[in-house]
Amino acid sequence: MTEAPAQSFAALSAALTGFRVAELWGTGQVEPYLAAVLATVGDDVVARLLREGDEALGSPDPRQALQERVLDDDRLGPVARNVIVLWYLGQWDPLPQDWRNRFGASPLDVAGVVSPAAYRSGLVWRAIGAHPMGAEGPGYGSWATAPTLPAAG
Amino acid sequence: MGDRTDPAGGGIAVADYDVVIVGAGPVGALLARELGDDGTQVLVLEAGPAAGRTWAEYQANVEQYLGSDAKVPNSPYYTPQYAPSPNVLDIRKLKDGVPSDAGYFVQKGPLPFSSDYLRSQGGTMLHWLATCLRMVPNDFEQQSRYGKGVDWPISYDELRAHYARAEFELGVSANVEDQAYLGITFPEDYVFPMVRIPPSYLDQHIANTINGSTVPLDGGDAKLLVSSTPQARNSIPNPDYDGGKGYRPRGAHGAPYEGLRCEGNSSCIPICPVQAKYNPLKTWEQVGPNVEVRTQCVVSQVLHLGKAGPVQGLEYIDYTDGAPPSKPERVTADLYILAGGSIENAKLLLGSDVPNTYDHIGRHLMDHPYVIAWASMPENIGAFRGPSSTSGIEILRDGSFRSDRAAFRMEIDNWGWDFCTFAPYTDVEAAVHGNGNGKGLFGSALRDHLADTVPRQFRFGFLYEQLPSRGNRVEVDNRYLDALGLPRPVITYDVDTYTRAGMAASRSLWEKLFAVLGAEDHTKFSRTDPGYLTHDGKPYTYHGAGHNVGTHRMGDHPENSVVDSYQRCWEHENLYLVGCGSLPTIATSNPSLTMTALIFRTLESLRDDLGIR
Repeated sequence: MTEAPAQSFAALSAALTGFRVAELWGTGQVEPYLAAVLATVGDDVVARLLREGDEALGSPDPRQALQERVLDDDRLGPVARNVIVLWYLGQWDPLPQDWRNRFGASPLDVAGVVSPAAYRSGLVWRAIGAHPMGAEGPGYGSWATAPTLPAAG
Repeated sequence: MGDRTDPAGGGIAVADYDVVIVGAGPVGALLARELGDDGTQVLVLEAGPAAGRTWAEYQANVEQYLGSDAKVPNSPYYTPQYAPSPNVLDIRKLKDGVPSDAGYFVQKGPLPFSSDYLRSQGGTMLHWLATCLRMVPNDFEQQSRYGKGVDWPISYDELRAHYARAEFELGVSANVEDQAYLGITFPEDYVFPMVRIPPSYLDQHIANTINGSTVPLDGGDAKLLVSSTPQARNSIPNPDYDGGKGYRPRGAHGAPYEGLRCEGNSSCIPICPVQAKYNPLKTWEQVGPNVEVRTQCVVSQVLHLGKAGPVQGLEYIDYTDGAPPSKPERVTADLYILAGGSIENAKLLLGSDVPNTYDHIGRHLMDHPYVIAWASMPENIGAFRGPSSTSGIEILRDGSFRSDRAAFRMEIDNWGWDFCTFAPYTDVEAAVHGNGNGKGLFGSALRDHLADTVPRQFRFGFLYEQLPSRGNRVEVDNRYLDALGLPRPVITYDVDTYTRAGMAASRSLWEKLFAVLGAEDHTKFSRTDPGYLTHDGKPYTYHGAGHNVGTHRMGDHPENSVVDSYQRCWEHENLYLVGCGSLPTIATSNPSLTMTALIFRTLESLRDDLGIR
């Protein structure tokens, strides 16, 4: 894989998740997730997704453009939403049946945690001011203190 | 003891071992260590694997959990084909008259028995929560005081010193002043090994809001008090312990400097990654050379005379995964101890057709039906941080109402709605997919939504006592066999109106608490839930608590029980049945501490039998 698709994937992922690009690279999951998405939905869909993502992010209103060009698109929307779930939970959810009927089913399109490392990297735990259950314990007595939420990028 | 040669020089049959223990879980570990240290030759036969004997093996279990799609209690642990374990994923809603044989259990209903256990060295206490409540004194006299259930053959006072010993073995963190309620007493100078686990921010908020207020219950006003829960997880050692000698916390098996404090990994069930929570592997690490452990050996028969009298031996099947199992081998001992958990003990005895004159074996199966009520606080209360539960309401565990309805305890749960709605997974999926309406969130709006909603989640868990009933039982049936051709547990189970009336009382409590806390009630019970039931027209869904109690209950006479108060089988004097199966009633405390205390009483009798002084 060349560098460019991973850069595009990271930038798109940041816009989709509300986390900074550097935070996503810091998880170590940019390349594993891109590889998982490529293997599951194929080069063509991913190329379109990254192209439309690049275009949207370069536009004057990236948020609106992402909504229209990616999330509202019949082909790209469900894949983009799965990418969000992937980042937040470290797991792949099966694509909707009508998507599979129209754009092709893949034997890899099944529910599952990508890896223990992917689970540990789930963004939901950061978003809620917690830590992945079973990992990164914040220390003795931490649960007794007032909760805080990390500043969003 | 310990010398297996025949002193008479032949002719007299000499047993292979002094003691054979069936099951290498928490009971087997403690008994093996104690008897081995006495100089007794002990064989332990464990049906399951020997996972987690080293730090590296244990970490492989942690990784298996982290990578599991369904993070259920047994998910970190390997279960071999020849020693299957029940799994909560196999619990089904039962149809009238149609047994479910999904998974290892065969469930005849009318309601499903909803708990699991784990056949493995270390046993089910690998995935326990580590709650260590003592029973209250009246629990031992439930029939005399309330006309319900049965009395125990022993009193709280007789067990009190053994409770203290159990609190040492398990390493309990608690403060005496929090635990002396409803008649529970301690010696004047007693302190727990470690100070109490810090109550969560959620606990503190609830305590500050409700302590001292009342709720109308049973025609009166019940006063509310949030209590810190005693827990077998490492906190700060108490310098006053043991007359000022102090206490040294025990770290992980194979990594003694790991887990000396709870680090807040928030995964006590199913696995504490640093072993700050007690698990029986820590006891196995202390077991000496007089003890031989054979894992992947399933005991298939208890050999007997066909009438009351001593057990003659055990047969077991040694297996290797993926290979055909061996022919049964025979082993003999002076004493036999079944410590496989209540359901496996009953299954083995019934499958061996062991004489059972008064027909109590397998009967009086109990659990704590566990109902969850869940809600959202007005503010962030820090959900998904810390041990699952660090406080509860315990002062409603006893009272004159027990003549009419079940008592309960209430856990305050720190892990949001994970058990009831699969939060935060379902929160993420619902927000991203817009609940299917195409209005899904992304970017900072998604992140802000999750940050605003999920940390406000909390829940209460209610554990109700269940009366011993002859109809709630484990049986065996030749139509239902496992991969070794051995019987699977066939379970008949129901929840009676006494327990359901307890659920109704708890509803008054949770509705009042949610109102006082200004919390938004999200509790939902669905007809499709396997544990769905109703009482007085109102719905409840119960889950299993993993507290598998009964099946060989203790009593003061063979007519009313299987074992005596030392857990010796009335009909077979060299056979002990040890564990939660011996509890005559379940009351409201999580049973592991009481089970552990009883082990020390049993050791007195075993040592007498073995001539150990």
